[in-house]
Amino acid sequence: MKSSSWLWKILGWTTLICLVVMITGFGWALKDTWFPKDGLALPEASKPEAATGGDWSAKNELFITTLGDSLTKGTGDATGEGYVNRVVKSLSKQLDKPINLVNNMAINGLTAEKLVDRLDESGFKNAIAKADIILMTIGGNDLFQIAQSGGSLAEGGDLSPELVLEQLPQAQPNLKAVFHKIRELNPQARILYVGLYNAFYDLPEMRQVSTAVAEWNDYAFSLAKSDGNATVVPTYDLFEFNVKAYLSSDHFHPNAQGYTRISDRIVQALQ
Amino acid sequence: MTNMLALIQNEMLKVWKKKRFAVVVLILLILIPIFVYAQMKIAQNTTEKFNADWRSELQSRITDNTNALSSDRIPEEWKKWRRALVQQLQYYLDHDINPQTPNAVTFTRTFMDNSVSLFIPLMVLAIASDLVSSERSTGTIKMLLTRPVRRWRILFAKLSALTLYVSLIVITTALLCYLISGLVFGYKGWEEPVFVGFMVQGADVDTTGVHAVTQGVYLLMQSGLIWFSAMIVAIIALMISVLVRSTAASFVTMMATIIAGTILSSMASSWTSAKYLFNVNLELSSYLRGTPPPVEGMSLGFSLVILGLWGVAALIVSFTVFTKQDILN
Repeated sequence: MKSSSWLWKILGWTTLICLVVMITGFGWALKDTWFPKDGLALPEASKPEAATGGDWSAKNELFITTLGDSLTKGTGDATGEGYVNRVVKSLSKQLDKPINLVNNMAINGLTAEKLVDRLDESGFKNAIAKADIILMTIGGNDLFQIAQSGGSLAEGGDLSPELVLEQLPQAQPNLKAVFHKIRELNPQARILYVGLYNAFYDLPEMRQVSTAVAEWNDYAFSLAKSDGNATVVPTYDLFEFNVKAYLSSDHFHPNAQGYTRISDRIVQALQ
Repeated sequence: MTNMLALIQNEMLKVWKKKRFAVVVLILLILIPIFVYAQMKIAQNTTEKFNADWRSELQSRITDNTNALSSDRIPEEWKKWRRALVQQLQYYLDHDINPQTPNAVTFTRTFMDNSVSLFIPLMVLAIASDLVSSERSTGTIKMLLTRPVRRWRILFAKLSALTLYVSLIVITTALLCYLISGLVFGYKGWEEPVFVGFMVQGADVDTTGVHAVTQGVYLLMQSGLIWFSAMIVAIIALMISVLVRSTAASFVTMMATIIAGTILSSMASSWTSAKYLFNVNLELSSYLRGTPPPVEGMSLGFSLVILGLWGVAALIVSFTVFTKQDILN
């Protein structure tokens, strides 16, 4: 009986304290939800890392940030690698130093117009500021998806060369804004813009789209040239004669082989 | 009054001697290390991927969830949840606060959030579901009721003991979680800021009421809310235990109800009147976190009222049946 009276004392008091703590917590939660006070002062933010610039050969490791649309995301690649991971692997082998992917911030269906807004977000700012190399694809959705007013893209749908051409003057200023914003965020990084291609080259009535694509790529090239440390990696020639072999089943995005070819180009351009 | 205290003492010791609480502790001691190990593996993996840069990791979570939003195969309700998540994560990133600093308090907070709907109720049931029915199956109820004590006092003593044990279970869970995970993640983190006050309104998250609290305060508030929903589970389990003769039957009934609740929560959005069921309202701590409720229009106040009504109803049924019931055989 003695032991149980001790047990009762300990158990009784411990559980009573627990009960009081729980009721306090419960009351506190209600108070905080319905009558919130001013919150805690937030600690001063530590500065996110910025790129150091300088000569690549002197560095132990390089940082890559990638952004843009579904092509950078790797949509259509059954292996899930996309061109981004292929570039990271292959470049790391070629330069014989670790290449770190800071972040792949590609978003499916992103247009240049929306990318301009995204570049104000702190996540994009941090990742771009940190990079030595910036890879991006953008504009495909501005020209093709906006011009498409229903019907399947693969069948050509309502998409006509005229509609694509009409999108050009609206979309070009956004591309310019993207280039400028990235350069503002990171004065030293090398920017690689992966050019557009005409995924409908095998459809005779859609060959004319190539004119719009070429004009767009030309424009990107002029932006890159005026920037000085940027370049355009052409891809239009990769998807002309044997489109089916390098495009995925959606007839718009590259497949694994298509992405491998794009990544080879990028690595060559960076060397 | 002394009489009442003696009755409560009796009930407390009975549960203790039946080693019910020991079983709860044992389960925690086995399960928590498993989760700590899993979390450690995840943490190692992300450090490797993102070079210990939490901003990159956070941005990557935002991008992944944004990408999932554009997929047509994802149901609209999940998108709502993700949209809210993206906006919250973005809020953290904009204010340069790491929402998941690796330490024992963060682990405990996450563990408690995940255990509110199943794990904590399960442990509460280990004690609550045979409180009355076991007396009946072993026949001790006759001894208990032939004493010159009014029946409602006996049930009240059982209820008090249950309340005390539920408090003990919630605190023990948090404490063991902190102590065990601290071995791996370090015992820091009480002062880290956490944002509360996100208001989910349709597809958008209203951040006007958002303010920061320390993680320690967050843990206290969260445990308090978890305690409340655990209490409701305990009270309803007590009612079932009064109504059903066999302990196994009462345990299975309650467990099935709780599991049904977690399933319903994930698909109740089209059946809006499900929000009046108690088992859909158990995740009180999600209001603190600011995740969208299972049915639109549910709020902390609403859930508290619903849970409270169920609790009161269960108490009325328990006391009426227990005091009027004939004890046969």
